[in-house]
Amino acid sequence: MRCAARGGVQMEDPEIAEKLVKALHRPDGSDDLRPVHSIGIGVTGTFVASDVARNFCKAEHFQGGKFPVSARFSNGSGSATVHDGWSDVRGFATRFHLKDDVATDLIAMTLPEFFAPKPDSFLEFAKEAFPVRREIESPWKKFWGMLHLKPPLRDPYPGETISPDAGAIRFADKYSYAQLGVFQAATIGAPKSYVRAMYHAVHTFIVTASDGTRRWVRFTWEPIAGVLNTNPLETPVDDYLQDELRTRLDGDGHARFSLMMAIGETGDDFKDSTSPWPPHRVRVMMGTLTIDDVADDQTAQSEKLSFNPGLLTPGIDPSEDPVLAVRTDAYIVSSKQRGGTPCPFARSTGND
Amino acid sequence: MTDKLGWLDRFVNSLPNRWWFKLLSKYVVVPFWVWRDPKPKLEGGPRNSPQPSENVQRMMNLIMPLKDKSPLGRAMAALAIAQNVDEIFAGLDNVGTVHTARFLILHDNICMISVYDGDFSNYIRDFIGTVGSVFDGIMELVEGGDALNPTEHHIEEFIDWVHAHDLFQAPDFPTDLFGLQDAAKGLPPNVPAHELMTLPRELILQLHANPNLSLGGGYRAYPGFSAAQVRSKFGVGW
Repeated sequence: MRCAARGGVQMEDPEIAEKLVKALHRPDGSDDLRPVHSIGIGVTGTFVASDVARNFCKAEHFQGGKFPVSARFSNGSGSATVHDGWSDVRGFATRFHLKDDVATDLIAMTLPEFFAPKPDSFLEFAKEAFPVRREIESPWKKFWGMLHLKPPLRDPYPGETISPDAGAIRFADKYSYAQLGVFQAATIGAPKSYVRAMYHAVHTFIVTASDGTRRWVRFTWEPIAGVLNTNPLETPVDDYLQDELRTRLDGDGHARFSLMMAIGETGDDFKDSTSPWPPHRVRVMMGTLTIDDVADDQTAQSEKLSFNPGLLTPGIDPSEDPVLAVRTDAYIVSSKQRGGTPCPFARSTGND
Repeated sequence: MTDKLGWLDRFVNSLPNRWWFKLLSKYVVVPFWVWRDPKPKLEGGPRNSPQPSENVQRMMNLIMPLKDKSPLGRAMAALAIAQNVDEIFAGLDNVGTVHTARFLILHDNICMISVYDGDFSNYIRDFIGTVGSVFDGIMELVEGGDALNPTEHHIEEFIDWVHAHDLFQAPDFPTDLFGLQDAAKGLPPNVPAHELMTLPRELILQLHANPNLSLGGGYRAYPGFSAAQVRSKFGVGW
């Protein structure tokens, strides 16, 4: 049984998901962990749809009522060592538990776009950006760059011996579609808290309303506490995000996110997740997620839990974005390799 | 950042904050690159787009340099607006496509900042048709304005003049600057791809060609809706 929908996109290379997962593993990662977003923390909470959500999407969790949610915050790196304070993309995977033991997922990250538009270019990016030894840029090279009005490369963080940055920049110099993602990833910084960052689901999904109207949309989680990063000029602290979250959620503490849905228009690219939509599209507030606890069993409810961007439910379908399709497959491959719990059945027509 | 930096690394890292290096950059490095790689002035106002939401709540940032840059000149400009408040309100209601409009006196300029729906040229034509006399009063006070007075007799020239004085709107996504610069030179955008690390230099050089700019296309609380839709929904139509 396959648990996730792939939008009818067929891969030219049937083994590309396996190749991707292999290429994404870092030398300082672990086979027992995810190849990317390796370090994370599981949380639980509830989702309540807004009053208008049902006008746009017939999915069960947008019809009203409270739905339990399991979620996982993560650091984007595939390193098995915690480096919370390093500039890095962060992830937020959310599972909405629907009735009858079915579920639907929404996978988001702090980067608003992806690095590559197709599976083969994604694989090429993964290979090019494979972490290599990180050296301090020579002062002469820095000075020469300043005379060319080019910023010097960031000095390595304490303990940073390898980095994907040089390869990613080299890739972006060849392919303009990767430039926005690489540029924003290089300057993204570190959040003060996992719940003080905005998370973008990046890919386009098709939502269907109860009257049959189909809309091409992109989802974003907006933190109600606001977005706040650490000071990039200060020496980064390696391990603080999980403790911060535990302290914040202790007792009656909670954190909330708004689920915003941008509606695409004719002329927008629905298949290319390297191409974000301008921030002028109609935005609909679809609901509020309240996170109130850190999961008790971090092994079962975070490390072994297998999310999947293709785990959808009636009312939400995947677009024809081929990277969404290959990620759907790659998450399954990754889950099997690390002994993860298979994702649950979803009632999407695309599931079998 | 790392604890392995030598004294030369630390010295070079500190250069951007040293006064003499700032002077060197300002008076030698930047002028050299302006000479070596000049950028054309990029066109003001929102760019054409087929998407409906790009054609509502469009931003105009019209910066008009005053002839008389003294406090007296600024007071004359303030008076030109203050004497025509009723005409402006009536004109805005008649145009019907304006969300907000306001006038500012900013140093040696009188500025009109507005948010409007639809085509730029039609917006200016509608404005001239409804509040043309206000603009005639302003044109008497600004550089290059005499040749356009009365505006109702110089509509196309006035549209071009407004376009030239509307701020360039920096792209919402920073790397799109490469493509805009290519297009302004008549080149296909991003062919070949630009070196990513040159983006800061491209921005600096563009700010030489366009000293003032709007940082992106604006932030909207209710994106994608026209003034007519908002007024209709609230039942305050006209």
